[in-house]
Amino acid sequence: MELSRRRLLQAALLSAGSAALAACGSGSGSGADAKELTLWYWGGGLSDKVVADAVKHFTQTKLKPSVIGGDFKQKLVTTLNGRRFVPDITGIKGEDIASLLVQANRFIDLNTLGADKLASQFVTWKWKKGSTKDGKLIGFPIDIGPTAMFYRPDVFAKAGLPEKPEDVAAAMSTWEDYYAAGQKLKNAVSGTFMVQDPTGIFQFVVGQGAKRFIDESGKFIGDQDHVRRAWDLSVKPIQLGIAAPYAANDQDLFAVAAKGTTPSILGAAWRALDMKSNMPDSEGKWRVAAMPGGPANYGGSFLAIPKESRNPQLAFQIITWLLSPENQARGFTDAALFPSSPSAYALPALTAPDPYFGGQKTIEVFGDAAQKIPVQYEAPADAAVSAPFINELLNVWTKGKNPDSAWSDAVSKAKEIADRQGGN
Amino acid sequence: MTATRAAAAPKARHAPAAGRKGVLRTYWPQYLAISPFYLLFLVFSLVPVLFSLYLAFQRWDGVGDMTFVGLRNFQFLIKDSTFWLSLYNTFVIWILSTVPMLMLSLVIAVLLNSNVRFTSVYRIAYFIPNVTSIVAIAIFFGAVFSTNFGLVNVVLGWLHIGAVPWLTNEWTIKLVIAFLITWQWTGYNAIIYLAGLQAIPTEMYEAAKIDGAGPVQTFFRITIPQLRPIILFTVVVSTINGMQTFTEPQVLFGGNASINPDSGGPGQAGLTAILYFYREAFGNNDYGYGAAIAWAVFLVILLFTALNWRLVQRREKEAA
Repeated sequence: MELSRRRLLQAALLSAGSAALAACGSGSGSGADAKELTLWYWGGGLSDKVVADAVKHFTQTKLKPSVIGGDFKQKLVTTLNGRRFVPDITGIKGEDIASLLVQANRFIDLNTLGADKLASQFVTWKWKKGSTKDGKLIGFPIDIGPTAMFYRPDVFAKAGLPEKPEDVAAAMSTWEDYYAAGQKLKNAVSGTFMVQDPTGIFQFVVGQGAKRFIDESGKFIGDQDHVRRAWDLSVKPIQLGIAAPYAANDQDLFAVAAKGTTPSILGAAWRALDMKSNMPDSEGKWRVAAMPGGPANYGGSFLAIPKESRNPQLAFQIITWLLSPENQARGFTDAALFPSSPSAYALPALTAPDPYFGGQKTIEVFGDAAQKIPVQYEAPADAAVSAPFINELLNVWTKGKNPDSAWSDAVSKAKEIADRQGGN
Repeated sequence: MTATRAAAAPKARHAPAAGRKGVLRTYWPQYLAISPFYLLFLVFSLVPVLFSLYLAFQRWDGVGDMTFVGLRNFQFLIKDSTFWLSLYNTFVIWILSTVPMLMLSLVIAVLLNSNVRFTSVYRIAYFIPNVTSIVAIAIFFGAVFSTNFGLVNVVLGWLHIGAVPWLTNEWTIKLVIAFLITWQWTGYNAIIYLAGLQAIPTEMYEAAKIDGAGPVQTFFRITIPQLRPIILFTVVVSTINGMQTFTEPQVLFGGNASINPDSGGPGQAGLTAILYFYREAFGNNDYGYGAAIAWAVFLVILLFTALNWRLVQRREKEAA
């Protein structure tokens, strides 16, 4: 009696186990006749409405979109390593593209599927950002993050500074002019700070140039003049006393900005969404002008097709449908995804006046910025190598560290990281 | 947490006379019954642990091929000032949190052990922080301690004390993180102490009373010595947890920011060893170096646990 019960238990366990194994196996089949295609993106990475329409539009397959929460890159990388359950189409965040371009053999070169014919419809620098050094297109552009300056004309007026976007852009076309205006502001309205975040300026000045921290041959160039210039320009507002105290989080940042204490915010187009949600009472008080020193890019992501994709041709069709100019315009309305395709800039969704910015047509500023962003090479170790500069800038800003010793500390630390990550 | 669970796991008792094979044949249903634990432990803990040891000698970006680099990761680690800073931060935060936490826990446990009404209400109330999501708590504390927006500074303003930039200064950053940990773990330790207190025979207290001991003397001469093994347990668990502080500084200082994420804030004052490990491995795609950091932290924890053990053991011998 007891024995047979054991047998039963054994059998039950065995069958449960094999059923589980079978279930694992069947889900990942890479059959040629793909009945379904999976699409991975993160919340806000694509317009949910456009994705829902794509599911309805593509009847030849079952498109299964999944919004992946948590650390998106980590989950993608883990799945790529497992080589099973790999999505047929996946999103790639802007900050991760450089590290995945090195793994180009794990993705399909979209140029082989006809992407090269579409290149002219997208901003060049973004297209290059999604391409490998030898010209394979891995990441198809979703959105971009052209930067500009958000400002408060009412506070500017108190200091006798220009109020209209064109005038502001003309009067503060360089960082030096911007800081001069900051000093004027400080003298006229005590307790106000023109610069909200010097570490942001560092990123933007680097983003305005043609070179970053590591060149295409893998050589560390973070100690060269272009980075030193960005450093000096970031330290300057701290020395002039026109930089606000450090704010650890967005609530803090916007609590100050809402009071008019920091009447200018430098940021990408999507920053407007944060402003609207954190400072809802400021509607109509803000305007947008071109950023001092020219535009840079901050953020923006890609769609890619992993090697394991069950139907690359169809996957590519879905991508181009999801990111057509019309659907990009919808993405802008639904999820504040700024279009990577300039032909979308003329569509009503983008040309509509924005009441938050006093009825200003912000596309005039952002659209212009989008097309002037320089092409840059970004190495996989770029973010890691740039971190010491930001950390040392924070030391200058919050602890009053001597800028020159902070610079040399930053350079030696960055070299160390470049050396380690370079692998030689 | 894994280490805690592993320590608490039941040890299989071998029948002394039977050989290895005989044991399995006799006790396999028992082994089968506890198999979910060790199978899961094997797959989700032991294999990754061994893999990370292997990784510590490789260079790997997470997707491509691994290259064997020997001790190179450790050579970098020894010279890496950021690593030493992160260890220092971890220790300071650990001391700032563990000392007040364990003292407070003991006081709370003693209070709960005396005859107050609604004891179970208090017990639940003290335990709730421990089962609340750390991420939620950290976001909440980040808001409460923010300079211009935070509740703490509003209250300080009422008292005519100027606003304190809690999340800017090197020491206040550590204090905020330590406060958060204390808040979360005090109740947990209090419950453990309470269990220990209830195991102390009342005869001892009665005898002490007859001998004329006051409450303070009773506390130091009876309660504390009797609780020694429990205190050792809480110190060891707090050491293991304290050395692994991660979520609090990660959430407080913009783990989601795309510029310089997981830096630990100004002066990298909140950069703990595990946060540094996470940043190098999962942020900067240097998994080999991340694994090396993790193993270095493991050695430090091992050292400290042994030290704690020796310290308490010796006292026990002295007491005996």
